[in-house]
Amino acid sequence: MAPESSKDQQTYQMRSSSRTIEHREIMATAMSVNFNGNWALLAGRRVLALQNLDENADSVVRKFSRNCKYEVSSAEFANCKQTQEFCAIATNQLIEVVTWGTSEPTLLHSLRSHTRMVTDIDWHCKEPMLLATCSIDSFTHLWDLRDARKPSMSLNAVCMSGATQVGFNRISGNLLAAAHDGDLRIWDIRKGSAPIHYITAHLARVHGINWSHRRESCLATASQDGTVKYFDVNNPRRAEKIITNSSPVWRARYTPIRNGLVTIIVPHLGRGENSLLLWSNSKQTDPICSFVGHTDVILDFAWRPNRYTNTELELVTWSRDQTLRLWKIDESLLNCCEPVSPDRDLVDDIGTESPPEDNIRIVCDDFQSSEVMEAINIARSPVMHIEPMARSLTDQPTCSLHHEFSLLNTNHPHFQIEDYDAIKRYAVVKVQAAGHIVNIQSKFPTEYPSPNIYPEFRFLSGTTLEDKNCRQFMAIMKRCALQRVKSSRTCFEPCLRILIASMKKTYITNGNDKSLLRLQSPRLEGALSSTLHDACIPFPRTSGVKFNAIGLFVTFAQNLNTRILSSKHSKLTPKALSAISGGLLGNVMGTQPVLYAHRESHHIQDRSNKSSRSKSIHKPITSPMVQIYDFKRLLHLNKEIANDFEIQKNDLVGTCKKSQMISEANGRSDLVPIWKLAELIASSCVPLEENCGELLFCNDPFKRNILESLILHFAVNGDIQTAVMLCAVFHKCCPEVETSPNKMPMGSPYHTVLPIDKFNAHISEQSLAMQLKQNRSNSWSDSLDLPDSLKTLHQDKEIFHCSLIKKSNFHLFNNFKTIYGDILFGWQMLNKRSEILKNMYFGKSSPSSGVEFAAECKTCGKLIKGPSCVSCKRSVMHCVICRLPVRGAANVCLVCGHGGHTKHLEHWFSVGFCSLFFVLNIFLTFTFYFRSTEFVLLGAVVNV
Amino acid sequence: MVSLINTIDTGHEDIIHGAELDYYGLKLATCSTDGIIKIFDVKNGNQSLIRELKGHQGPVWQISWAHPKYGNLLASCSYDRKVIIWKEAGSDWIKIYEYNNHDSSVNSIAWAPYQYGLILACGSSDGSISILTCNTEFNTWECKKISNAHTIGCNAVSWCPSNVPDNMFESKTSSTRPPIMKRLTSGGCDNCIKIWKEENDRWIEENRLEGHSDWVRDVSWSSSIVIPKMQIASASQDRRVIIWSSDDFINWTSTILNTFDDVVWGVSWSLTSNILAVTGGDNKVSLWKTNVENQWICINEDASCASILT
Repeated sequence: MAPESSKDQQTYQMRSSSRTIEHREIMATAMSVNFNGNWALLAGRRVLALQNLDENADSVVRKFSRNCKYEVSSAEFANCKQTQEFCAIATNQLIEVVTWGTSEPTLLHSLRSHTRMVTDIDWHCKEPMLLATCSIDSFTHLWDLRDARKPSMSLNAVCMSGATQVGFNRISGNLLAAAHDGDLRIWDIRKGSAPIHYITAHLARVHGINWSHRRESCLATASQDGTVKYFDVNNPRRAEKIITNSSPVWRARYTPIRNGLVTIIVPHLGRGENSLLLWSNSKQTDPICSFVGHTDVILDFAWRPNRYTNTELELVTWSRDQTLRLWKIDESLLNCCEPVSPDRDLVDDIGTESPPEDNIRIVCDDFQSSEVMEAINIARSPVMHIEPMARSLTDQPTCSLHHEFSLLNTNHPHFQIEDYDAIKRYAVVKVQAAGHIVNIQSKFPTEYPSPNIYPEFRFLSGTTLEDKNCRQFMAIMKRCALQRVKSSRTCFEPCLRILIASMKKTYITNGNDKSLLRLQSPRLEGALSSTLHDACIPFPRTSGVKFNAIGLFVTFAQNLNTRILSSKHSKLTPKALSAISGGLLGNVMGTQPVLYAHRESHHIQDRSNKSSRSKSIHKPITSPMVQIYDFKRLLHLNKEIANDFEIQKNDLVGTCKKSQMISEANGRSDLVPIWKLAELIASSCVPLEENCGELLFCNDPFKRNILESLILHFAVNGDIQTAVMLCAVFHKCCPEVETSPNKMPMGSPYHTVLPIDKFNAHISEQSLAMQLKQNRSNSWSDSLDLPDSLKTLHQDKEIFHCSLIKKSNFHLFNNFKTIYGDILFGWQMLNKRSEILKNMYFGKSSPSSGVEFAAECKTCGKLIKGPSCVSCKRSVMHCVICRLPVRGAANVCLVCGHGGHTKHLEHWFSVGFCSLFFVLNIFLTFTFYFRSTEFVLLGAVVNV
Repeated sequence: MVSLINTIDTGHEDIIHGAELDYYGLKLATCSTDGIIKIFDVKNGNQSLIRELKGHQGPVWQISWAHPKYGNLLASCSYDRKVIIWKEAGSDWIKIYEYNNHDSSVNSIAWAPYQYGLILACGSSDGSISILTCNTEFNTWECKKISNAHTIGCNAVSWCPSNVPDNMFESKTSSTRPPIMKRLTSGGCDNCIKIWKEENDRWIEENRLEGHSDWVRDVSWSSSIVIPKMQIASASQDRRVIIWSSDDFINWTSTILNTFDDVVWGVSWSLTSNILAVTGGDNKVSLWKTNVENQWICINEDASCASILT
């Protein structure tokens, strides 16, 4: 700690307070200075006092008595001129906004929303009506006083620990920092769904947050771990600067002007040491000045702006020694804070010569009128976490009884707090475990928790334990309590937990409860041991829904009694898994499966409500059930129709008629008129004249549109089966079926003809993949057998011109067919599936989007994708090694285009020849497979 | 309209967290807090237990069947930080792969559409998402990890279906059709839904949907079959189900399906994407459908399947 280390070599100044005002009777726990700096509010449990801070007005104090059960945890005057008389005072879960009129404080608003003790309040520096409050319940609420019924925004930190500090950014006012244990959450109040930054700031609790007055993204934090850290929120990984002390730092605040920072350090043993220090922001090794005078822990401080000059400040401090002190920070001191190395000449005359202890004593003697130690026992601030007993404050932050109660886990499945009073110092708890009920009354001595001072436990009536066990459990609890209070830690909840654990152990191993034994399983014990971890794991689902790929639906639901798991304030199912394993304060997994454990305890609770102590009756546990529903009808899927449906491309009318019958027979009589309509569409395909018949058929706008709207109607309404059946029937249907039945595909000599025929030569730009698809199918292919008179027509037109389906819908309808094909696949109707899928349109683009190979024909110069040029009837690829046309596997160089038989090239390179007439820079292996009737093409344009 | 065809007593010793039918609807897999996965034969109303798969050391949160093209594969994820892939080999089930590279409970798994290959996405409470790709030729698994996908934790993953309809306008010819891109969506404890796409072998965040005020518990992606529109249903601790829709992956509009009485943690689309099933903390199942005015309506009033059993 700087002041200690520099005792022999004093490098900083000592200042004493300019004024001291003592208020022994107020016992305030919070202090705030108003906007103008002329009034200081001292808020305590019984009295609110306003002290005039102006010169020569020491006596002016206005007191207003109030009687409240709880201490004031925070009080803040508003920061804006418009609302300068507003003051927010937090007591337990309630925040009261009062305004100071001429006489009495008037209550303006009661802000109720927090469910645990409010720990801090901060007013917005620009918006007069806006304030933020944070609480142990882990929420930070923003309140707009224009509508104070509920928070205007609730910032929910997903966090195990409550929020202890909150602070608005002073420059933009949009950022807000909240402290949760050692972590900071930075929120943007314009976007409250999640914090914008997480800062793992300290190893221990953060006691103070203060945003910089100068730099928008900078803040300073003070922590129990003895450090003050400067952070830039835009770079949250690392603190910019760190001030290290050996004692916890209670507050760290920037000076409103210039470059300083003032810290309150909670000294060892709670008193005696200097604890108010001024630091320069550019020098973290030593403080600039120490303000001496307070004899006890300083509870809070505030800045008092000097209205006459902008170069000086006044510091107002309130201490547990019940004195209010004012300290002048003049320009010379502030100058020391500037980055320029502090000028030693300015060091005050009391600083350097004599030992500092003497100085303190002198100062203390000067200003301290009497010893105020007896006041300490009464001033018990819940916020401070400082117990009146003299003991180390550096170990785990201890807390007052009230604080301990507020931290008790209210969601614990095994115990219920029936009654408690932090003032009368007792609590009554009902514990239910292993089929027994224990009512415990616990009394807390005033000195608790300190070594050998532990709560006194007593079993009340209604306890179902045998005497022998009562004594045994009492001893266990006492042992636990002693162990905890030895290091001045609270012990109430740990004692309850150990009681529950030992009750379970005793009764379950005794075999008194066989049902519990049956469920006993160590499997989750290890797994669920880290509660903190479980806070981030979602609460297990107890119900589920899942559609399967073919219209079946699986569901299950198990009625856990999650109500007892959830917090008492809400009936909602808890969020995280940690709700099961013990809630806020650690984890006590028993030896039972986690979820049944709750079912069990609920059961006992029910029983006890009926005041029956029988523990032998046990709810039978059925294993979870899963239901499978058939949703096919709701999804308009019918397996029978799918099975019976057949497409006869040469008899569309017949197909439609048959579909009518199938639909009717399988409970889809609603489809009968649809198929009748389809029949009409198909039947008038019979043309009057052969030549214009096709034109009539394909270009009939009425038919096209009605068909399209029919298909889309069914698709939109989720009846994909009907939609697909309709498009499959009318896809690529041609009038020739009727006009030239002699050219039926089965009888056609061209049926098995090779892809490269004279017609296809003219549409060579069509992808080969498409040709293959067409020819592979056994359906009647329109493009092959056209009468000569129509050939010229087709040369200009695309294939879809002879379909009733618009080109623009091809992709969409293909999609329907794919989906329906997957359903048929699931029904294992593979033949039906291929029957549907062969009615798909394959456009120009090959389905692979990779590189495509093409070779240039030597004679005609065209780009040929196949192995031979269709017009010249010559092979396009010749091996560069053997000079023979390539059939089968071939490799080519992507740079020079040379290539040939894979085997030849492999040999060429394996022998290690240096290429003489071509340079193969990148040699990629693309492989062609040429077979007699079909081939597969895999990818890049190559010029041979 | 709906018929109950089977009720299976799973015989699990503890709460079950997942139940899923295979592609053909012949086998049912269930998983439970007792760490066991059970496979039942449910063909034709049968309900015989085929196998118990033991391999997890903690509660098993979810199971998922792969497409039958790759054989009978089942993936499971658990509190014990493991993802296990099981395969039916003859009459036995064997563990073919175990993935151990998460630092916390793995909460959700999802198989990619089969067209992309055998790929599994896993979302974990350590905040990361793992993408496991199987090289089916050599049976090796390769892993990519999106670290810090969701602060605090990832609760759900879901893949974009492969059959996303194209824009069907004439002007957009098939040659300009963008290459199929793998996408997935995830929901987590940062109250966000994120959309990821694979670009140049890396998974990048394409979009972030913010609308929930509490943890997102489940996401489910579907594409409307009629219009080129994607839909993501998300269920959250804030008791709401939000339907996010987009036709270009860039602009997403949100519609609140409903605010339920309790938290919601499960959503599932029917195969034609016109029915959405929702379940949550109150253990009720509700089914939702859009009506002609494009509003979402609940089709089972008392939130039980029985009401639409007629």
